[in-house]
Amino acid sequence: MAWHDVAPEGEFEMDVPKVVQVGEDRVAVFRLADGFYAISDVCTHEYALLSDGFCEEGKIECPLHQACFDIRSGKALDEPAEVDLAIYPTRIDGGVVQFQL
Amino acid sequence: MRTAIIGAGQAGRRTAELLRGLDAEREILLLGEETEPPYDRPPLSKEVLLGEERPRGLMQRAAEVYEAQRIALRLGEKVTRIDLGAARLETAAGECIAYDSLVIATGARARGLRIPGADDPRVLTLRSIADARALRARLRTGLRLVVAGAGLIGLEVAAAAIQLGCAVTVLEMGERAMARCVPEAVSARIEAWHRAAGVVLEFGCPLTAIRPQPDAIHLVTGKGEVSADLLLVAVGAIPNMELALDAGIAVDDGILTDADGRTSHPHVFAAGEVARIWQRGAGRHVRFETWQVAQHQPVAVANALCGEQKPYAELPWHWTDQYGRNVQILGTHSAALEWLEREDGGRLIYFGVDPEERVHSAVLIDNGREATPLRRIIAAEKPIQRNRLLDPSVALRQLC
Ligand SMILES: Cc1cc2nc3c(=O)[nH]c(=O)nc-3n(C[C@H](O)[C@H](O)[C@H](O)COP(=O)(O)OP(=O)(O)OC[C@H]3O[C@@H](n4cnc5c(N)ncnc54)[C@H](O)[C@@H]3O)c2cc1C
Ligand code: FES
Repeated sequence: MAWHDVAPEGEFEMDVPKVVQVGEDRVAVFRLADGFYAISDVCTHEYALLSDGFCEEGKIECPLHQACFDIRSGKALDEPAEVDLAIYPTRIDGGVVQFQL
Repeated sequence: MRTAIIGAGQAGRRTAELLRGLDAEREILLLGEETEPPYDRPPLSKEVLLGEERPRGLMQRAAEVYEAQRIALRLGEKVTRIDLGAARLETAAGECIAYDSLVIATGARARGLRIPGADDPRVLTLRSIADARALRARLRTGLRLVVAGAGLIGLEVAAAAIQLGCAVTVLEMGERAMARCVPEAVSARIEAWHRAAGVVLEFGCPLTAIRPQPDAIHLVTGKGEVSADLLLVAVGAIPNMELALDAGIAVDDGILTDADGRTSHPHVFAAGEVARIWQRGAGRHVRFETWQVAQHQPVAVANALCGEQKPYAELPWHWTDQYGRNVQILGTHSAALEWLEREDGGRLIYFGVDPEERVHSAVLIDNGREATPLRRIIAAEKPIQRNRLLDPSVALRQLC
């Protein structure tokens, strides 16, 4: 496990994720009203990148078939997704947002 | 109290699961003619043809999951008669099953061609997972496949088959691809993807006869003859409403229901693609052939079965995936609308607007993130200046 840099805190817009690839994993990092959250960027239904989806009120909607996930908990909120997303801890280190994987 | 559900497809599964969530006590019986546990059909013309045995998108649960939910799933059971007076079903095996309330979720079947030669074994349709596996087993490099019908399923099969190395021709009676659900500009884009991949598309080209020969089938069309090894007929679906019709339940291109899913008989409901549902907004009954209706209209049915009202009133939505591109259709296509195109680096939106500049319908290409803002724009029925619709720098969420 290691901490990975995403971007300086000030570069994040609300609800607009930044994506980092670590080996085979794609991680999407969001700024929400109460802090930074990191989730796996790949929908658990078929194959789509959630960072291409619609984000609002702490939820991300898959661009393909509109399954919704809670960004804070990774929970799959409705079908066609049933499997929760992996979530990763985040922190701010010297003004830079990081996640742990 | 026992609720029987006829048809263990997507809508049957959803009704059973939602009903269990609302009522822990009742007996739930889910009867299906197919021998496979319920599954969603969209992957059949996509991932399954490309070789995935059980793609996740099938949403297929193991039989034990039904047991754990105390849903009595009985597969390979065809219901042959509904006796409304006695509140009983008869099955092909000769069993009688009593019910207190009934849900008909029998879906639809593929329409066949009524032309000479259509019963040749090289003429196939695609509706079930068994059909998809049979088709996949025959798609191989060099096979000459003809698809009759340039609708969503026909085009998805054409896309999969050309990727598998088949020589593919699509014959369509009408003038363009997916004419029932998208405007001309979108048809033109989809046709271009197919032509670029090597698919031959023939429009204005009805199939009038099939001449089986030992080594090929000869297809007689409005524009001459084509030889093929295999013909896939994808010319639409017919609702499985005969049980209801014979029982005296009101039908008309589908089982007529109110917005709660109730049929003309108070203890009988219809769910999914077989239902033709009262749409208050449109002022008429509409039947939808979509994943969406099978997924969400059972919410209304399960609630109505428990005495609650959650009328079904969703903006219609469906999608197709071809060549790794995703097309989503919101609302109902109408040639009466003017269609405006917004392009933003390969992501496209087509807005169907009326003369008062209100958006009624839309098509998204590789742009699913805009579906939710667009739903809100359409629901608001507010006029929006066209220069704002067309300007990619104006986010749709600012317009709703
Ligand atoms: C190949 C294919 C691809 C599709 N792709 C898409 C897509 O990309 N996007 C989209 O939005 N929609 C798509 N659809 C449409 C969508 O899948 C259907 O509208 C949906 O499956 C309807 O669900 P349903 O439960 O109403 O019917 P079904 O899933 O057809 O289920 C009905 C079930 O009832 C059973 N049955 C019928 N009669 C009896 C009887 N007498 N006794 C017992 N059982 C009976 C049938 O065997 C069947 O299993 C596709 C459909 C097909 C066929
Ligand atoms: S791939 Fe995300 S909902 Fe289907």
